[in-house]
Amino acid sequence: MAPPRPGWSRRAQYGLFFSFLAVVAGFVIGLFLLVLSLVAPNTFQTVRGAALDVTGPVSGALHEVTATAKGLVSGAGNYWDSARQNAKLKAERKAMLQRMIEAKAILQENRQLKAALQLRERSRDAVAAGRIVGSSLSSPRRFAVLSVGTGDGVRVGMPVRSPDGLIGRVIDAGTLASRVLLISDRSSIVPARLLRGGLPVIAQGRGDGTVDVRPLEVGRNPFKRGDIVVTSGTGGLYPPLVPIARVVRLDDDGAIAVPLADPANTSFAVVEPPYEPAAGVPASSDSAETP
Amino acid sequence: MVRAALGSGRRIGQGPRVGAEYIPAASVVVASMLSALPMVSTSGWYPDFGFLVLIAWRLLRSDPWPAWWAAPLGLANDLITGAPIGLSVALWTATMVLLDLVDRRTMWRDYWIEWALAALLLLLNETVERWIAGIMGAPVALASMAPPLLISIFAFPIAAWIVARLDRWRLGR
Repeated sequence: MAPPRPGWSRRAQYGLFFSFLAVVAGFVIGLFLLVLSLVAPNTFQTVRGAALDVTGPVSGALHEVTATAKGLVSGAGNYWDSARQNAKLKAERKAMLQRMIEAKAILQENRQLKAALQLRERSRDAVAAGRIVGSSLSSPRRFAVLSVGTGDGVRVGMPVRSPDGLIGRVIDAGTLASRVLLISDRSSIVPARLLRGGLPVIAQGRGDGTVDVRPLEVGRNPFKRGDIVVTSGTGGLYPPLVPIARVVRLDDDGAIAVPLADPANTSFAVVEPPYEPAAGVPASSDSAETP
Repeated sequence: MVRAALGSGRRIGQGPRVGAEYIPAASVVVASMLSALPMVSTSGWYPDFGFLVLIAWRLLRSDPWPAWWAAPLGLANDLITGAPIGLSVALWTATMVLLDLVDRRTMWRDYWIEWALAALLLLLNETVERWIAGIMGAPVALASMAPPLLISIFAFPIAAWIVARLDRWRLGR
């Protein structure tokens, strides 16, 4: 296992020496690139985008295969279990109908109140809708790969959501695919509030798929298990009232919550423009939230 | 000798496969590409496939590739996995140098020593990744480093087995 001894051959000696120099050079270049990507994260944006364009469609194509296989398995399971599921669904439907009538009444009341206040509804059109086709598998950072890119109008900094809740925001954009910083990443901070009571809170990722929620004002712990946290719209990047997470465990001055939109089970993710256009400038939003 | 040649026809004409010297490097890139599989992990506990296969090759033999190839291989890994560019370049070349030094010092090798070495390297890899993530504004709790580290340490024998099979196949044995 010892490294090959070159013997008396000058050629072999020089060869070994130059290959050692090449290793050292590789290490120095690597350090230089690393420092560059730490100090100026935007330097490699085009390269990273191009790399995404190569790997993204591969993931997308394979995603179809796994989705079909998963669908077959779960479809068979549903068929097997249909009698019990039917009864359960009937009960759920009955409860849901009641809630729907209540919601309709609230909606009507809301409309009247808004009309009375002359509030203008901001129209928010989705930029693009794509599928989550992959994610960072082995890193302390939580990224996901989305199957839409700049070709569909996606820009760096745009918020991404699914029907279930907030997913994150775009940090790298290639032409065909883009990379999303999930809300469970440690560097993702979302201004939020408690749905029950409207207390302003901050939702920061923990890097392991969960989210840390803390109240803005220090004091009594306001959380209860099962509380829903929604975006507050402060800061102007994320639209207000998008569900973020559900509280599962309390700790001393905050709580740990699980994101409502599970990126592993999200069929479609919608990219939206920044809620207030001024917040969409990538440089400012990046420097404000990811140092 | 004649008898041996007649006895098993498959020994004749057997030798290294075409492009055998590129197969180790190609297998590292393929392992990096595993992260492009459509798996979505919310916890990030999968092993670092590229690094795992890299150290498996380097621990199996001292000459799977010229040591400086680790730099381009690391760059490919950075681009594919979305790590900050330069992280794997620096880390993988440093690993090559480190293992050259270890090769000079160790008198003998057995399976347990290799596994322990691999565990140390994986710990180094994980620590540096965590440290860089901290600099980039995502300081992760120390405790959350343990599960992925354990998983990759236990995944190493599998990678080593695959690499050993691949090595035998490419040399035509």
